[in-house]
Amino acid sequence: MKTKTSQRFLQRFVLGRDSAKKRFIAGTISPLVLYMAFWTVFPLLWGFALAFFEFSPRRAGGFLGFGGDNPFIGFGHFMSMLNFSADSPLEVKQFHIAIRNTLLFAGLVVPLNLIITLPLAFMIESVHERVKGIYRTLFFLPVLAPSVGVAIMWGFIFHPQRGLLNAIIGKFAGRLVGIHWTGDPNLAVLGIPMALFAIIIAYLWQDFGYNMVIFIAALQGIPESIKDAARIDGVNWWQMLTRIIIPLISPTILLTAILTLISAFQVFDIIQVMTDGGPKDQTQVLLLNIYNYAFRYQKMGWAAAVSIVMFLLVLSISLFQSRVLRTEWEY
Amino acid sequence: MSSLSHSRSRRKFRFNFAYPVLTIGSLIALLPFVWMILSSFKNLKEIRQVPPTFAPDEFTLENYDRVMNDEDLPLGLFYRNSVIIAGANVVQVLFTSSLFGYIFAKYEFKGKKLLFWFIVSLMMIPAQMTMIPGYLILAKLGLINNLLALIIPASMDPFGIFLFRQFAVSIPNELLDAARVDGAGEFQIFRKVAIPQLGPALATFGMLTFMANWNAYLWPLIVLTEEKVRTLPIILTWYSNQMAEKTNLTMAASVLVILPVLIVFLFVQRWIVEGITLSGLKG
Repeated sequence: MKTKTSQRFLQRFVLGRDSAKKRFIAGTISPLVLYMAFWTVFPLLWGFALAFFEFSPRRAGGFLGFGGDNPFIGFGHFMSMLNFSADSPLEVKQFHIAIRNTLLFAGLVVPLNLIITLPLAFMIESVHERVKGIYRTLFFLPVLAPSVGVAIMWGFIFHPQRGLLNAIIGKFAGRLVGIHWTGDPNLAVLGIPMALFAIIIAYLWQDFGYNMVIFIAALQGIPESIKDAARIDGVNWWQMLTRIIIPLISPTILLTAILTLISAFQVFDIIQVMTDGGPKDQTQVLLLNIYNYAFRYQKMGWAAAVSIVMFLLVLSISLFQSRVLRTEWEY
Repeated sequence: MSSLSHSRSRRKFRFNFAYPVLTIGSLIALLPFVWMILSSFKNLKEIRQVPPTFAPDEFTLENYDRVMNDEDLPLGLFYRNSVIIAGANVVQVLFTSSLFGYIFAKYEFKGKKLLFWFIVSLMMIPAQMTMIPGYLILAKLGLINNLLALIIPASMDPFGIFLFRQFAVSIPNELLDAARVDGAGEFQIFRKVAIPQLGPALATFGMLTFMANWNAYLWPLIVLTEEKVRTLPIILTWYSNQMAEKTNLTMAASVLVILPVLIVFLFVQRWIVEGITLSGLKG
């Protein structure tokens, strides 16, 4: 037990330590601030500035390469993004395609992901404790693999002649099947290009274990007492699911859906390796577009402008998220 | 009575529905891996066969022999590069995240709220926003094609600071003050008192950071263009493009790149899962 004198001693002692604390904070926080200023704030500002220039790192210019052969063009890039006429430049056409494909991709990935992962989490939670871990591990395995490896594996599965998918279909059809899943621009389902579906399958395969473990944890977080109370009231399993379990984990479902949406907007690896945007730009997405224009064609000003559009897209979702999820749930 | 009938319906659900679906589902989750491994043991003639075989008719280890002795593919070097980058980033990110998380949790100073709010808002900014200027800075510093290009700009992780602050808040102040009475310096207190309290967070976040760096593709693709500095994901894509017609070799290379670390990740998946749930449930 603390005596009064020892408490007083402690207080005086702690106060006497103020200068040591100050030195410690100054010695750690100032490098942090300097580091962030150089590697975060400065690049952000530079990135914004780039979008208002016709910029290529190969051309000479003034401060940071601006000016000179890299002229200031104001909102020029953003204005030409709004050029929807048939004779718009190639980069504008590709930008429009990339926006459309990104929205299409993310719009399909989120519901498909939830349709797979939610029932899977319920089922894994329902099975015997001893096999639960085995199933969870098997489903989680693809999450651990590098996305490049995933793209190479699935690229081989979708191969028109040597691929596993056509072999399986051929076995059922009783003849040779040579569907070019990722390379035939004329294949489409409901107006959505087949190549995009192939990418979505590979992406979902890699990604579903991620949301699944989140949902499993959310289900485990529901107190048994609530479920017991419902059981005593005689609810059947369907009522239990729709009236009790789903409402209780709905904040998690919403947050997970939003995080899945944001990461789907930033898809790159699998597409770049499997199709590189093809066939005929049918799998061209925003980040691939930014990468190509910045680092293949050296049109960094245009690419920076596209990044800003992408940033605003992601930011609006993040802001929506922080508004919607501000309500705290307790149970 | 009601609980008995409930457990019976639960068992029915398990055997009629859950087990079959889960078993088929886990086979689908495994199938691409299995096919990759099986294909890596086929010879060139068999891999080009239409339609393909599932398991190899003629089992051969020649693909592995060729991949491991290919002078254009020094896998040992690329493993070394990947280990250096991922290892260095785990160490420095754990250090900065725990230190600054601890400071934001346990110290008061002017502008603390503003700085913390700023760091948290950085989490909302996608990495691609700083991709182009980041490349230009590294080019100006002469760090393109240098492994440091993947290490220096990655010293700080806003999410890590945020996460460690949440953990450090629960360290009892009495513990820190007791160490002060014993005459420990502030940094010593962080190292000897705070760090041991943050053990689980360090393990979890360390695994996530290692995995993210190990599997990273876009940023290494931009800043590492020379062969000798490439990392495993970059070299795997390059090799599979070179050997587009020799899928048996690509598959053997993929097995050598993917499987060893996948098995390691499998053993530590408890921490990885914990990290994912943490980020998913709390945002």
